[in-house]
Amino acid sequence: MKAYSRILSLFALVLAGFGWSQLQAQDWVHTGTNLGNDRIRIAAADFKPVGDDPQTPTLKAAFDATLYTDLANAGIFDLVSKSMAPPVMPGAPQEINLAQWSADPAKASMVAFGALSANSGRLVVYGWLFDTHNTVSPQVLGKQYNEEASQDMARAVAHRFADEIIYRLGGGINGIAETKIYFVSSRTGSKEIWAMDYDGQNQHAITHLGAISLSPRISPDNSRLAFASMGRDGWAIRMYSLELGRTVSFPAGTAGGSNQSPAWSADGTKIAFSSSRSGSPSIWVADASGANLHRITSFKGPDVSPTWNPRTNAQIAWVSGRTGLPQIYTMDLDGANIQRMTDGGYAISPSWSPNGQALTFSWNRKYGPGDPGGQDIYYFDIASKRWLQLTHESGSNDFPSWAPDGRHIVFERTIGGRTQIWSMLADGTQQQELTHTGNNFMPNWSWK
Amino acid sequence: MNTLLEGGEQLERELTPEPVVGPAVGSFVLHGALAGSLVFYALVAGLFHHNSWGDSGAGGSIQVSLVSTAIPLPSDQPPNQNVLATDTPSQAPVQPAPKAKQAVEDTAIPILGKHKKPQPIATAKSQQQPVQNNRAQYGEQAGSQMTRATQTGPLGPTSVSDGDFGSRFGWYVTQINAKMAISWYKGEVDPRTPRGARVYLTFTIRRDGSPTDVQIDRSSGSSTLDRSCQRGVQRVDSFGNLPPAYTQSTLKVSYYCEY
Repeated sequence: MKAYSRILSLFALVLAGFGWSQLQAQDWVHTGTNLGNDRIRIAAADFKPVGDDPQTPTLKAAFDATLYTDLANAGIFDLVSKSMAPPVMPGAPQEINLAQWSADPAKASMVAFGALSANSGRLVVYGWLFDTHNTVSPQVLGKQYNEEASQDMARAVAHRFADEIIYRLGGGINGIAETKIYFVSSRTGSKEIWAMDYDGQNQHAITHLGAISLSPRISPDNSRLAFASMGRDGWAIRMYSLELGRTVSFPAGTAGGSNQSPAWSADGTKIAFSSSRSGSPSIWVADASGANLHRITSFKGPDVSPTWNPRTNAQIAWVSGRTGLPQIYTMDLDGANIQRMTDGGYAISPSWSPNGQALTFSWNRKYGPGDPGGQDIYYFDIASKRWLQLTHESGSNDFPSWAPDGRHIVFERTIGGRTQIWSMLADGTQQQELTHTGNNFMPNWSWK
Repeated sequence: MNTLLEGGEQLERELTPEPVVGPAVGSFVLHGALAGSLVFYALVAGLFHHNSWGDSGAGGSIQVSLVSTAIPLPSDQPPNQNVLATDTPSQAPVQPAPKAKQAVEDTAIPILGKHKKPQPIATAKSQQQPVQNNRAQYGEQAGSQMTRATQTGPLGPTSVSDGDFGSRFGWYVTQINAKMAISWYKGEVDPRTPRGARVYLTFTIRRDGSPTDVQIDRSSGSSTLDRSCQRGVQRVDSFGNLPPAYTQSTLKVSYYCEY
């Protein structure tokens, strides 16, 4: 017996000697929920002006301001305010003192810095992004830009650099700093289609038709703009080529009845719209060339405002009035598998999120006499049918449109008879007014 | 004792064969156990490869926060070329030859105008240690206290991994956490699941940031929690391209969801 117990203890010793230590051949990361999910604290240093070209100071001012607002608007950063940042302008990796940026009060874990110079009509920018806690290999990003020296290009370069940072630190989702917003504006008298940068800068008219144009929708490749326009034979879907600078033909959108609310599929090959050419408004789908037109809904009651699932291109969400008040429904592209999303109230203008998981739309949950509810923007998760109210008690809100990063929503808000374009993060925070002149309606965020 | 035995008995004892079977069996069992433990270890270790830090709280990760920078970290200077670094100690330096004393002739005629200093009488100072300058050098010198750059882990306790990925690309780990926080829906979990229940997953992130090979490593006991966490990873299209400076093609991640 004694011998066996000795053997057993030996056996145990052998096991203990091996232990459970491991040799790993590959890099592992161990992490989990509740282990820190704070926004990245990032500092945008003022760029260092190089050279004595008289253009440099103004270009630098535009660049610094744009980079700062782009990072602030990204929705994934906790930006170090300028007053807390160290009063230095490091122009190169050798000049930056990382401890200065990681210490109080800046406490930045990332810092973007670089140098900018204008030289004989060219704008040259070097930009870096450094991890302040990593003294060994701090560089996360290094970029160089060489463009024509102008205010617009200074802003464009800042947008590009900001997008690179957002792409790198935002989980591989492209930033939206270079995207555009198309909208309807009546500031010149008639309702024309206008465009602006995502931050409200650089607003300019696209169409000059002199008619009423509504619901602009930009194609996924940014080449064409579909919109509804009041013409000789009523409301028609028209197509404007941004490359040619004129309207091009779209035969499917003109044949009788009232044709409205176009929507591009994410691959840019198809357009869905509502048309009343065969009775009450129904959803029709045509190729982008206008051929191959067919109808996919046929119910009593109007069907309007289609929007594609940009992830699958195989589903459409739209507004149907078959039960009385308008509600949001989804269906497959062949008209099958119809599901009702909203459970009541007055729900209009859906927009499908880029990842295909959610809708946003305008909803008045307590619609009717004696029940004065507000028209507000909602976020709606399709799988769980749970929703989140994004706007609260501030005007009447309508026509939300997703940004391609799935983190921002642009919408129109009417307060006291004035309608303007606003944008916000998809959780309802950081709401900001983008337009201030005239009345502006029906924004549509470009795909890239 | 043996001397007490009688002669016949002793002879009998010498003639009887030694007990071979018992020890032999014991030896076989011992060696079998050794071999078995080796095989067992190899098998089990292959299964639970994640457990490199033991079962600590944060998914096998640890946080190191330095109490002060005064901790004498080992020097990373190249080894100095003194005797301790070599196997052969240096020869003790030879005793310096005593200075040839200038012989003073008592009989010499003193030079005029030059006063001879009275020679102090040498008294033996017993307390004073003689300076030993003929000792071999054994590398006894003050440890070099270099100022060393110490860095705390970026952003909380998530970043330490077996390799140095977590410390080099802390921002990428932050990104994984941020993405998972968005894509994991706690609402999918059965509310009867006890608070603090954890499911551990492993998955691989490819170069383009897409997760693959999502597996439940240690179940939480709640199938809804297990599934919701797994779905959370599957919902992520991309965690973002792996850092360009990271040379390997994939990154292994151990992730837990805590209800």
